[in-house]
Amino acid sequence: MEERNVSKDGLTALQDQLRVQPPAGLAGLRDDDLHHFAEAIRAARHRQAEHLKDAGDQAFRLVPRLLRGPIKRIVGA
Amino acid sequence: MSEAMERRAERLKLARLLGHEPDELHYLEDVESSDLRALREQVTEVLFSSQGQVLQRLASASRLLPVGLVAQMGERIFGPVIAARIAGLLDPDRAVELAARLPVSFLADVACELDPRRVEHVLARIPPSQTTEVSRELVRRGETVAMGRFVGCLPDASIRAALGTMDPLTLLQVSFVLENKEQVPDVVGLLEPGQLEAMVEAAEEAGLGDEALELLDLLSKEQRAAVMHDLERRGQRTA
Repeated sequence: MEERNVSKDGLTALQDQLRVQPPAGLAGLRDDDLHHFAEAIRAARHRQAEHLKDAGDQAFRLVPRLLRGPIKRIVGA
Repeated sequence: MSEAMERRAERLKLARLLGHEPDELHYLEDVESSDLRALREQVTEVLFSSQGQVLQRLASASRLLPVGLVAQMGERIFGPVIAARIAGLLDPDRAVELAARLPVSFLADVACELDPRRVEHVLARIPPSQTTEVSRELVRRGETVAMGRFVGCLPDASIRAALGTMDPLTLLQVSFVLENKEQVPDVVGLLEPGQLEAMVEAAEEAGLGDEALELLDLLSKEQRAAVMHDLERRGQRTA
């Protein structure tokens, strides 16, 4: 069974992603649509985090050797 | 402005934020534009604050690197979405230096992903000549919704420069999707002589007469009187 069916209605799922109450006008949407929108936010955050991690690794390879230590200390890698 | 147009613009903005096609969010069609806008602000906050600490550390680390290398990393590795998230965290002068090293096409990509309110302090320092180039590229791409978000966050000189790159129909479409309609008289005040009348003419030709009338309603008394006078004059000429 999908996780969303176990625990959350669409509005709650959306509120969890937004971390605030969604605008009142969204209460009229179908539950599936609210889940779709909540999932779109979660996926966008996930893509952003993954891309940031990959890009950070790639970019580090371009950093001149001399600066790698100080950069590592700032980035906390 | 028509509610349907506002809703469409908001759906476009939300879709872009989330990396979706607008049609995938078709179920938002009947939600009021004010609610869609509030939702967009909530989603913007979530996405721009997500990974906030990592972004802040990257911005700090970039100070140690030559600006040319940071520009190269931004364009070739991080891409426009991350560049848009990090832009507001950079030292403004450094951000302007970086922008000067980046190609216009990439800056246009970044502009589409930015939350202009978070980079007002940077936008204020971008030379109008560069705003002109980016605006010209956005016009070429038909990015009227993206352009509408910048009005109100740019200094007058930059707005004037951007407006100068727009044909009458683009100007009209941008005016339909301005974030704050109270800005319309100020923006119209920055137009070159004849541009407003050309917009009204373009609206008539494009079958957007009703929307143009709504736009006229937003003008100051003096501006409205001037346009009406011009339209009357043209009507007499063609009668």
